[in-house]
Amino acid sequence: METSFAITGKGYVIVAADTTSARSIIKMKSDEDKIKTLSPHLLMAYSGEPGDTVQFAEYVERNIRLYHIRNLYALRPSASAAWIRRALATSLRSRKPYSVNLLVGGYDTSEHTPHLYWIDYLGTMSEVPFGAHGYGAYFALSLLDRYHDPEAPLEEGLATLRRCIDEVSKRLVVTPGKYKVKIVDKDGVREVEL
Amino acid sequence: MQHVAVPHAQPQQRQFNPYSENGGTILAIAGANFSVIAGDTRQSEGYSIQTRYAPKVFRLTDKAVLATNGFAADGNMFVKKVRQRLEWYRHAHAKDMPLRAIARLIQTMLYARRFFPYYVYNILGGIEEDGSGAVYSFDPVGSYEREACRAAGAASSLVQPFLDNQIYFKNQTPAPGTTHPAHLPLSHVLSLVIDSFTSATERHIEVGDGLEIYVVLAKGSALQGLDAIQGLSELTTTDDGERMFVIRRNLKRD
Amino acid sequence: MSIMDQNGGSVIAMVGKDCVAIASDLRLGNQALGVSSNFQKIFPVTDRIYLGLPGLATDVTTLKERFRFRVNMYTIKEEREIEPETFAHLVSSTLYEHRFGPYFCEPVMAGLSKTPSGGYKPFIAATDLIGCLNFAKDFVVAGTASEKLFGVAEGLWEPDLEPEDLFETISQTLMNAVDRDAYSGWGCVVHVLTKDKVITRTLKGRMD
Repeated sequence: METSFAITGKGYVIVAADTTSARSIIKMKSDEDKIKTLSPHLLMAYSGEPGDTVQFAEYVERNIRLYHIRNLYALRPSASAAWIRRALATSLRSRKPYSVNLLVGGYDTSEHTPHLYWIDYLGTMSEVPFGAHGYGAYFALSLLDRYHDPEAPLEEGLATLRRCIDEVSKRLVVTPGKYKVKIVDKDGVREVEL
Repeated sequence: MQHVAVPHAQPQQRQFNPYSENGGTILAIAGANFSVIAGDTRQSEGYSIQTRYAPKVFRLTDKAVLATNGFAADGNMFVKKVRQRLEWYRHAHAKDMPLRAIARLIQTMLYARRFFPYYVYNILGGIEEDGSGAVYSFDPVGSYEREACRAAGAASSLVQPFLDNQIYFKNQTPAPGTTHPAHLPLSHVLSLVIDSFTSATERHIEVGDGLEIYVVLAKGSALQGLDAIQGLSELTTTDDGERMFVIRRNLKRD
Repeated sequence: MSIMDQNGGSVIAMVGKDCVAIASDLRLGNQALGVSSNFQKIFPVTDRIYLGLPGLATDVTTLKERFRFRVNMYTIKEEREIEPETFAHLVSSTLYEHRFGPYFCEPVMAGLSKTPSGGYKPFIAATDLIGCLNFAKDFVVAGTASEKLFGVAEGLWEPDLEPEDLFETISQTLMNAVDRDAYSGWGCVVHVLTKDKVITRTLKGRMD
């Protein structure tokens, strides 16, 4: 089952998503990158209806890029999240809505603060200290209620994420195999191996 | 041979719904040495009022009162059967069944009909053998619990959180060095019951017309200001046991 | 499962003596799963109008943005702040525009309106999801705990409460109502509007 997590910490956001791409019961691919880098300090993990996901993510990616090119500076995380939410909310009342759930994590370079937004396909958006989508959310959220610390250094944040992934592997019936983990902080975006 | 055009028989389905919902609300609160059991007297079906006076609160013994709410026909039948069992108990044991035993009896009777239940929420109030006021609340299939207070029926969702606040003092912090009282005085309880029903009458269309409040006092306890209440009449039959009263009030009829 | 109960949440507004109060819970859920305990559903419209939007969370955000836009346009065109009564009708007509494909929100408003003598008069109102206005004189409620709110408010509210007493009344009403509702809770926020200030407090209550 598709699962994605994200947690904020002291000056960073960690975003993790599983790497399986499935059509019904068949695993089509096991190294899919479902976290897009939207701008130098912005990450977006996407999941949902196959087809919609990539289509919508690329639409967002190009528009955020367009803003960057036109204005010579990137859209800030809060504004990006609001724009993305609006795109989903508008889509919801269209003939064929996008069925995509998102975790948008970014580092605001003017305020020097990390931000994380939980967004679902309806256009529901909430800024959260940590968030998750998919069946993994049922395990990860309660675990993060206990262990999350918004002031934790990166190593501790990664250790907490590791706990989430381990718990999901242990308790979820259909377990995602590998995860891609990306970090965004003052230095920009980078991928890490857990 | 003649060919007769027979119209193709369509499959037909018939249904009979043995249940209905008759509105109204009941409520009971236990005190240290008394128990108050109340119910409104409106009986309705959909938007129609069937009667403005249909009692939902029934005296079972000298110290037990049962309030029923939900499907009135089931409620009345159930009370009838409980009373029958209590009478048999009296014949067999030459005494009234204790309250906790009545509670267990009601559970058994309700669960006996697990797969064709009495569509009724029951609240049993009265005096325990140790002289304490008690309230037992039941679901339609017999799950039950002894509590200090309980509201059931159409306006239960309006009344119960009010009672949580006023009886259990939920979300209220006691002043430093003090604690909340475990039991409230009778006069206070009666005001809360009356307020609850006036509130429910105001906001719920299925509640109103009349209010019947049964009060059971433990053996040898004082009237605690009960005599000053208007609309009071005494139902006590013995002069050395628990005393039972009923207060009848009008509620708004709109 | 109703669309109005998808995310959960409740709002209540009450009238006091020369003051009004509006309060809400802070839960955002996805059916039974709690997602956020800091989801604001009450938004300041002007210094003297607050708007509560319980219902489907995507529409909460969309409507919040839409009302901000329409109030800003009003302020620019009229060169004055909008009055609560006017705002209530703005809310109503905005919702009724979508009569046959509504926003799944039931707005609750609280404000202080200017009187000809220069004073302020308490004002509360609520609408259903298609904009049918309800100008109540005592209190208005909306959201998944609305029945419970009605019951407790009807029992606790009284006329002409001073700001601090109104705060206590609305807080107790909200907390005890949401504690009996699985879809509301996870923290509460209360705003009390008086002629010269707005008091905002977050309440410490049950978090389950």
